Formats: sequence, structure tokens, C-alpha cells
Amino acid sequence: MKRDADRVSIVAGLAVGGLGVLLLLDQTGLIELRFGYTLPAILACVGAILLAAGLDGRRG
Amino acid sequence: MPASGRPDQPLRRDIDGGIVAGVCSGIAKRYGIDPIILRVVLGAATLVGGTGLIVYLLAWALVPEEGGRSPSWARLAGRRETWLILSGSTMLLLSLLLLLREWGLWFSDAVVWPVLLAGGGAALIWRQSASSAPPAEPEAPAPVRARPDRPADPVRALRLPTPALGPAAIGAGLVVAAGLVFLWLNDALAPARDVILAVVVVVVALTLILAPWWLRLVRGFDAERAERIRSQERAELAAHLHDSVLQTLALVQKRADDPRAVANLARHQERELRAWLDGGRPDPGESLASSLEAAAAEVEETHGVPIDVVAVGDAPMDERGAALVAAAREALVNAAKFAGGATVQLYAEVGEDRTEVFVRDRGPGFDPDAVPEDRRGLRESIYGRMGRHGGRAVVHSSPGAGTEVELVIER
Repeated sequence: MKRDADRVSIVAGLAVGGLGVLLLLDQTGLIELRFGYTLPAILACVGAILLAAGLDGRRG
Repeated sequence: MPASGRPDQPLRRDIDGGIVAGVCSGIAKRYGIDPIILRVVLGAATLVGGTGLIVYLLAWALVPEEGGRSPSWARLAGRRETWLILSGSTMLLLSLLLLLREWGLWFSDAVVWPVLLAGGGAALIWRQSASSAPPAEPEAPAPVRARPDRPADPVRALRLPTPALGPAAIGAGLVVAAGLVFLWLNDALAPARDVILAVVVVVVALTLILAPWWLRLVRGFDAERAERIRSQERAELAAHLHDSVLQTLALVQKRADDPRAVANLARHQERELRAWLDGGRPDPGESLASSLEAAAAEVEETHGVPIDVVAVGDAPMDERGAALVAAAREALVNAAKFAGGATVQLYAEVGEDRTEVFVRDRGPGFDPDAVPEDRRGLRESIYGRMGRHGGRAVVHSSPGAGTEVELVIER
């Protein structure tokens, strides 16, 4: 049985996954993550999830 | 090639001719300029500090589409998801601005942050101001308990509806904050910074301490006020029904042997009740004295008891006057019912500061303290009604000595 994809979960997963990759790269020393980049990344992550939830609610 | 302008038409977003939301294309159409110029200017302003992006988003939210569709903001308003979308968009915008700032593509902290705050605040205020305009709703059914005698309050027309107050206050706060941030970042607040900081700290501390009590107090006041209004409305309704329907039913019982009189009473009561249900009371007359005389004539006709009316002075009718007339009418009805057919006297003295009405009869009298609790005529239609309108009623009576009802109301 085909199930509709939960868009909010997909966006949230991608956003948190992307954030995790950034932090991992910082730990391995491949990139240097400064506060000036960390804060926008976190904000973008939370913002994307909220926006997806809002838009999904409008459709529903 | 620049399009010819349409200065006589309102600004609309051109979705079909636009790239993202049709803002540049719509402005270009309206003013007859090339949209590419606008796009380049906005793009440059976005790259140098992000203000172009802010302006574009605000225009997207506030300018309606071609074809009569409301602005995006208006379509979102009132929906549960609006705050989610708004919060998410704000965070994404903030993230982008912080990145631009980090990369050095930045105009100035002293400009971008105040502009961002002021833009958000202004959008909120404009949104609430627009939504508080009278909506084109279908006409509501006539209220069962309309109050045509309540004077119109012009100040009420300027008030925002309660649900709009919160967002409007947030918007005003954002604009004020933008101004303060701008002054602060440009060192204009330096001389007063220490004082302002101390005041802000004290105010914040007091707010945190007193907020729970204040909230409880406000909620308590609201609940108490709503209950008081409901109680007064119930009392007014009960008094009206007593004075009209119940009194007529009593008369019908009394005159059951006269079908014509019963039919007349029923028709009169039906007319009065329909007029009241349709949103108004019967026209009470233009002045207090003429209203009292009309009430006396009506009671005299209905009950067949002679009533002498003496009125000294006069005043235009108002809500208090209408309550006084209704209470006097009830006193006249009681006198006509219980005075044994003897003449009833009504004496009214209308002064500048107060109005006094006396209703006297030479009937058998009664003990006012012995009136049962469930008798509404005296308790609600006279005492209660006068009390609710800032007046007072006193009944002077004793068995065998007639009755005098004294009604006093301050003007």
C-alpha cells in the first residue's frame, strides 16, 4: 500500500542531517566552523522545518 | 523595451510576466519602466547588505496580485499556520542576512537591523489596520435584544478589534525598537544610555514580578464585567416581560367575559412584543413629560382607572428617562390594579439635576416588607430598574393608608 510522504519529516530530516554533516566535517578538521556560520546554519535548519510545517498545514 | 505606464491603475504584482512573485514586473508595468532595471537594482541592494531582499519580501506580502487576489499576507492571515510560516521565513531571512554579514557583503549594522525591525513592525501594523476596516459581511439577523436607546460612541469606531490588538502592539513595539536600535548603533543614545539601561532593567524586573498578578486581575475584571452585563440583561428582559406580557395575561384573565376587550389586549400586546423583538422599544416620545403622560393615558385606557397627571418641567428623553417612565408605568399599573377604581395621581418634577416622580393612590395600601420574593413587579420592574440606571425607588405604604411610590433619578 502506497503511503503519502510526510513532507515536514523529510525537510526536518534533511535539515538536521545537513547540520550534522557540517558539525562532523568541523570535527574532522576538513572545515573550520565558526560561530558566524554555525548560527545561520542552525537558524536556517529551524526556519526550514517551521516553513515546511506551515506550508504543509495550509495544504492539509 | 519599457512598457507604457498605467498611472491610473493601482499597483499589482504581475505573476504572469514576473520571475519570482511578479513584484518588479508589476512595478515596471505601473510606472512604465523596464523591469530589468528594477531587478538589477534590487539584486545589487540584496548583495550589499540584504535590504533589497527585505523590500522584495515586504512587497510580495503586501501588494495584491493581478486579477483581484488579496496580498499573500492577507490570504495567510487568520490561519493557524500563519505563525509557523512567518517564523520560518523570518529565521531563513535572518540566516541569510547573517551569512551576508559574515562574508562582508554588508551595508551597515546601523542600517540593516533597524530597517528589518521597522519593516516587520510596519507590516504588522498595516496588516491590523487593514483588517480592522468594516468587513463586507452579509447582514446579520435583527438582534432579539437590540438597544436602540444606547448612544453611539464615536471612539469605539477608532478602536481595533480585540484580536488585532496583540499583533498591532507587537508591530508598534518593533518600530519603536527599530528606532532605538538605530539611535543606539549610531551613538545617539550614548548620553542617556546608562539611565535608559537602568530604567529598562527596572521595568523588565517589575514586569516579570507583577505580570502574573496583573494577568489574573485583568481576567478577573473581564469575567466579572461579563457576568454583570449578563445579569443586567437578564434583569431587563425579565422586567420587560413582566411589564408587558405578564400584565396583559393578568388583564386577559380579569376580562375573560369580554371577548372584544380580550382581543384588543392581545392585539396591542402582540404589536408591542413584535416591535420589541424587531430591535426596538415602542417610541417613548420626545420628552420625559410627554412620555409620562402617554404612559398614564395607556394605563388609564387599559385598566379603566382615571389618572391625574401633573408634570412640572420637562427634559429630552434618554436611557435614564426611559427607565424612569417604565418604572412609573409599572407603579401606575399596580395602583390601577389595587386602588379599587379610585383616581390615581401622578406628579412629576423635572429639574436640571434630578427628576422626581410620585405615584399616589387611595387604595387599601400594603406592607412593602411583606411582598413575597417572587413578585417581580415591585422588586424588578421598579426597584431593580431604577437601581440599574442610577436612581432609587421608595414605596411609602401601610395597610389602610394608600400608597405612594417615589421615584428619583439623577440626570
